[in-house]
Amino acid sequence: MAAVQVSEAEKVYIMHGVQDDLRVDGRGCDDYRHMEIETDVVSNTSGSARVKLGHTDILVGVKAEMSRPKLEKPNEGCLEFFVDCSANATPEFEGRGGEDLGTEIANTLYRVFDNGHNIDLKSLCICPMEHCWTLYVDVLLLQCDGNLFDAISVAIKAALFNTRIPKVQMIEDEEGTKEIELSDDPYDCMRLDVENVPCIVTLCKIGHRHVVDATLQEKACSMASLLVAVTRKGTITCVRKVGGGSLDPESVFEMIETGKRVGKALHTPLQEILQKEESLGKKRHKVGFLG
Amino acid sequence: MVKEVAFQVERAMPVDTKRVRGPEESQSPWLFVQQSRGQPTRVPQTRESERRADGRRRGQVDARPMFARCGLVSQAKGSAYIEAGNTKLICSVYGPRETERKDELDMKAGRLVCAFRLAPFSCAKRCPWIQGSQEKDLTLSLQESLQPGVCLHKYPRSQIEVNVLVLENDGSALAHAITCASLALADAGIEMYDLVLGCSLRQDGAAYLLDPTCREENGDESTENQGSLTVALLPTLNQISGLLSTGEMKEETVVGAVRACVEGCQRLYPAAQQCLLKSVRRKVPAPQN
Repeated sequence: MAAVQVSEAEKVYIMHGVQDDLRVDGRGCDDYRHMEIETDVVSNTSGSARVKLGHTDILVGVKAEMSRPKLEKPNEGCLEFFVDCSANATPEFEGRGGEDLGTEIANTLYRVFDNGHNIDLKSLCICPMEHCWTLYVDVLLLQCDGNLFDAISVAIKAALFNTRIPKVQMIEDEEGTKEIELSDDPYDCMRLDVENVPCIVTLCKIGHRHVVDATLQEKACSMASLLVAVTRKGTITCVRKVGGGSLDPESVFEMIETGKRVGKALHTPLQEILQKEESLGKKRHKVGFLG
Repeated sequence: MVKEVAFQVERAMPVDTKRVRGPEESQSPWLFVQQSRGQPTRVPQTRESERRADGRRRGQVDARPMFARCGLVSQAKGSAYIEAGNTKLICSVYGPRETERKDELDMKAGRLVCAFRLAPFSCAKRCPWIQGSQEKDLTLSLQESLQPGVCLHKYPRSQIEVNVLVLENDGSALAHAITCASLALADAGIEMYDLVLGCSLRQDGAAYLLDPTCREENGDESTENQGSLTVALLPTLNQISGLLSTGEMKEETVVGAVRACVEGCQRLYPAAQQCLLKSVRRKVPAPQN
C-alpha cells in the first residue's frame, strides 16, 4: 500500500487523540468517512459499481460467462476474483509492483466468499456437470487512501446487486443434443440475491484502542490490524490479522466485537441506498467519473 | 486418391516423439468413486460425546502428539522437522544474509523472507510445481505470524530466509508450519522474543475439533456454524501474532475457538522447549568435569 512518512511527533499526536476517541479529521473511533457509491458505470459488464471512500477510489466490474462447473461441485457456479492495482494509484504500482498487493487482496476475497452461504451458487447452474455461470469479479484500484478492503467489499456487494445475468434455457433435441437458448428480450435477466454478501471491516490497533476506517497516516502509527468480514445477520466469515505486529488476545476479542457491530450496522443503509438508486431508473442523474 | 493425400498430410505434421503428454486436465479416480456411491467424503459425527476418528475428543483441547527434531538439514543454518499424526513438514533457515534489494527500511531492521511450499504428492489432489495462489496466501500468513517473534532490529541490512516444505498434508499444515519455522529459527541461533507456536481448529456445528486431520477439515457445508481457524501465539508474552479464519461462524463461536487455540498453543510449549534442549545438548557436549 502507498506508505506515508509520518514523524514521531505526529504519531504521538495521533495516538493521544485516539485515546480520547478523537481523530485528526474529527471522527470518532467507530466512524467511517464519507462514502459515495454508484452502480452501472461501465456498460460492457454484467454489473459494475464505483465506490469513493475519502480519496480511495475503487471500480468493480462483474462479467458473467458460461463455463464448465468444477468436478467437486457439479451443481454450482463459481466466483473468480482478480484485483488490479492500477499505476494511476501510486508510481509504486507501475509494472509488476502492484502484483503482491493485488494477490493479497484477491486471496482474502476468495477466503471471505469461500463458504457456500453468501451467494447462492446453485442458482448459477445451467445444466449440472456441463454448463454453469462463472462470475468474474474484477476490481480496479484507481486511488489509494487507506482502507482498501472495506471499500472493495462494499463495491463488490454493490456490483453484484447490479449484476444482470441473461436467462438461458437448455433445450434437448430429438437426437439428444443440447442447445442453449437465450430469450429474445434483452432485459429478461436473472438478479442475484446479495442479502448475505459480507462486508469487510478493517480495525487498526493504535496504542490501546482500535479505529475503524484508518487513513494512511493512522495506518503508519499502527503495528497490527484485524480484518473482520461480517454479514447482515452478524455472522463472521473471515478474520485475519494483517501487519507485522502482535495483538493481545483480549484486544482481539474487543476488535472482533467492534467489527461485528460496525459491520452489521453498515448493511442496512447500504441496501437502502442501492434499492433507492435502482428505483430511480432512467431518471437517475449519472455522475460517472467527472463528479 | 483422396486417401493418399490425407496420409501425406498426416506425415507432414511434426509429431512430438520425445514426450508422452497426458491429458491437459486430469483428476484422481477417487473423486468419481465417492460421487457414484453418494456418500459424503467425511465421516459424519452426530452426537457430541462421540469420539473422533482417531479417538480424540470433540469440544476439548486435544491435539495430536507432536514429534519435533531440530538440526536435520546439514547445509542449512538451522532446520526442524515436525510430525503430528500424518502431517509431516520440514523447515530450513538460511541467514542472516545480505539483502538483494536495499530499501530505506532495510537500513534499520532486517527482513524475513518466507516460502511455504506444498510438495506435489502431499495432498489428496496433486499440486502443480508452479506456486498457486493458495501457497502465496499461506506464505504471507506465515510471514505475518513469524515477524513479531523475531528481533529483526538486531539484523539491519540483512535478510533471513525461511523455507517450509510440507511433505504430507493431513490437516493443520499452516499451524504446524509456524511451529516448525520458529523451531528452525531458534536452531539457527536467530534472536527471538519468544517461540511462535501455531494451533488450528475446525468448528463443526456446536463442538470444535482441535488440530483437525484432512478429512475433518473438509466439513459438511450444509450445516450451520462451520469454519476453520488458525492461531499463532507467543506463549510467554501471551500475544497473538497470527489469526486466520474461514467459514461462516457466529461471533461467540469465533471467540471461543480463539481461546481454545490459545490453550492448545500453551500446551504445545513444553514439547517445543524439550526439542530445543535436546538439539542444544547434541550440538554442545556437556563439560567433562
